[in-house]
Amino acid sequence: MTRVAIVGTGQTVHARRRTDVSQAGLAREAAVEALADAGLTMDDIDSVVVASGPAMFGAVNQPEKWLVDALGARYKPLVRVTSGGGTGLAGALAAINQIKAGAARRVLVVAYDKLSEGQLQASISTLYDPFWGREFAVGIMGFSAAYWHARIKRLGHTEEAAAMVAVKNRHHAMANPKAHVKKEVTVEEVLASRPLCWPIKILDVPPISDGACAVILAADQDAESITSTPAWIHGMAYYCEADNAADRSMLQSEPLQIAAANVYKAAGITNPFRQFDVAEVQEPYTCFELSYYEGLGLCPAGGAAELVASGATTMGGELPVNPSGGCMGANPIGATALIRLAEAAMQVTGKAGAHQVPNASRALVQAGGGWANLRGVAVVGAEKN
Amino acid sequence: MTTIHHADPSETMESMPAQISMPYTLTPGQATGIFLAELRNRRLIGSRHGDGTILVPAQDFCGSTGEPVTNFVEVAAAGELQAFTTTARGTIGMVLIDGTSTPFVHQILQADPAALEIGTRVEAVWAVEATGTFLDLAGFRPAGNPNTFEPRESPGDLAEPLQQVDYRMTLDYQHAYGQYYGTLFDGVKNSRRIRGVRCSECRKVLLPPRSHCDVCFAPTHEWIDVKPTGTIQACSVVHIEFIGQRLTPPYIYAEIVLDGSSTRLIHMVGGDAANADKHAVEPGNRVRAVWSERRTGSLADIEHFELLPADEDPS
Repeated sequence: MTRVAIVGTGQTVHARRRTDVSQAGLAREAAVEALADAGLTMDDIDSVVVASGPAMFGAVNQPEKWLVDALGARYKPLVRVTSGGGTGLAGALAAINQIKAGAARRVLVVAYDKLSEGQLQASISTLYDPFWGREFAVGIMGFSAAYWHARIKRLGHTEEAAAMVAVKNRHHAMANPKAHVKKEVTVEEVLASRPLCWPIKILDVPPISDGACAVILAADQDAESITSTPAWIHGMAYYCEADNAADRSMLQSEPLQIAAANVYKAAGITNPFRQFDVAEVQEPYTCFELSYYEGLGLCPAGGAAELVASGATTMGGELPVNPSGGCMGANPIGATALIRLAEAAMQVTGKAGAHQVPNASRALVQAGGGWANLRGVAVVGAEKN
Repeated sequence: MTTIHHADPSETMESMPAQISMPYTLTPGQATGIFLAELRNRRLIGSRHGDGTILVPAQDFCGSTGEPVTNFVEVAAAGELQAFTTTARGTIGMVLIDGTSTPFVHQILQADPAALEIGTRVEAVWAVEATGTFLDLAGFRPAGNPNTFEPRESPGDLAEPLQQVDYRMTLDYQHAYGQYYGTLFDGVKNSRRIRGVRCSECRKVLLPPRSHCDVCFAPTHEWIDVKPTGTIQACSVVHIEFIGQRLTPPYIYAEIVLDGSSTRLIHMVGGDAANADKHAVEPGNRVRAVWSERRTGSLADIEHFELLPADEDPS
């Protein structure tokens, strides 16, 4: 069996607006850092996967063609993968598949979005069917708030519980040098903040960011010759479900549950809450982190509010979730899921600096996009699986 | 097998026009930012790279190595036409600026295309008034004089890079209804009927109608009238304002399961009872469609859904 590892990671300085670089320059910044982390140059890279969100975010279609020069990727295989908010993890999965198939040995994944350039929610509204719902769409926010409202009623995912996620992740972001939102908040402040799509309030919402992340993947001896601390991929999966299928309650995300079951089986996980040392989840709004606790099996259905209130998912708790601050610290959508994977790799290799979870050796990663219908899960470990 | 009762073709709407138009604030980066800023000074700025090439417009990174630009050079505002094509809207051509390595595309102005040849000498035409865009260089026109300008290294008086280029993308679409949306919206428009399709296997009724059930992947086989009443599956209160919004906030966004169907319909909940306390409208509440005066053949023919008083609930 081919075992694939992350051998280098890089992230830009994320910001609300980077006026000093173009989209291509932004992507390059992360790639340069990842190459330096791995001690490689572009000459060592066999294949490049570019991952970014909907082209409408930045008004440049097929942006990967623009990145070729900036990455020094001329005459190499280069493709773009896009899959909504989970794009970055989908890009990493494409790279892993290239390596497992024997098509490449060392693959660079570069994920980015420069969200300051366009109209985020209006762009996202174009994901709706033009005949069925687009005219009433509020980006992803109206939808997300509506189903959180349903989960408040059915699963007890209260506004207070979500506010605790905001407090926790914003507190964690204080220690992450790459986060650009560094402001602590209290539960009371979150609850009193301005409603955008109630129950979602402005402090439940991550920033809109310009940013990029890059990860270099290699297998077995290649990985071991590049670094003494590979972060091994113990499992990764990305699932979808039909948009308008009958009886979609969306109280729980079925593709998330399927992806988690698949990956846990591959990684030998039977008790995720006990077996993981750290988790990085992609929470586009605070309410989603609560939902993911349940979908990932970290607590039973309806147990998320109790779990966050227990402090177990805060730094110092039994299973810190989002020590990086998650999306609340920075949210360049196309890069966000790859940032989660990179942060997990940093945690299990002891490279997370001030937001390191002590002695972390196995990390859980979650990513997602679409109307809760695209969901990915990965397990990353220090130990070769 | 799928059996469809085709609507009278004369009543069938073929396609729906739609436009997406959005503003952007693009960032050109350092090198192209300097190039754009210097157009105001009627100078063409290129970038010199480690592999010996000079690129115009100036680029941050070398195409062959990916390395950052070494230094900037001022180049001649003249070059050679390497390729061109003419349409009713004019001529565009690939212009290789003297001393540079890669041609770029621009308008060829004030020229009878019959007089143009591959290799024709051209010179820059500057916009009368600079506006901070690529069109401050209006284009190129044939030039008589051979160029003697040598690239000038590292001009010390370079303008600060332009940090932002405002842009608007406007895209027009014609979305084909197809037979399923066509039949649904014909019914909505002409007889205020909402019709879904029933899956031949699981027997569930699907909206919007479609040829196959997503779960069973079995064909749908009959049209079923769905009631204009239903249950809110999920709802939120929209307070934010954004481009393209139909209503003035706050209003209620809702995903509604109509009676007799098993899928979600996205709409809004309004009316006096709902608007009296929007936060009190909850998943599980019963609602009914309020038809609009409009007959557009779309979901907008429903003005909104209103809360259904218990004594008027048919279920």
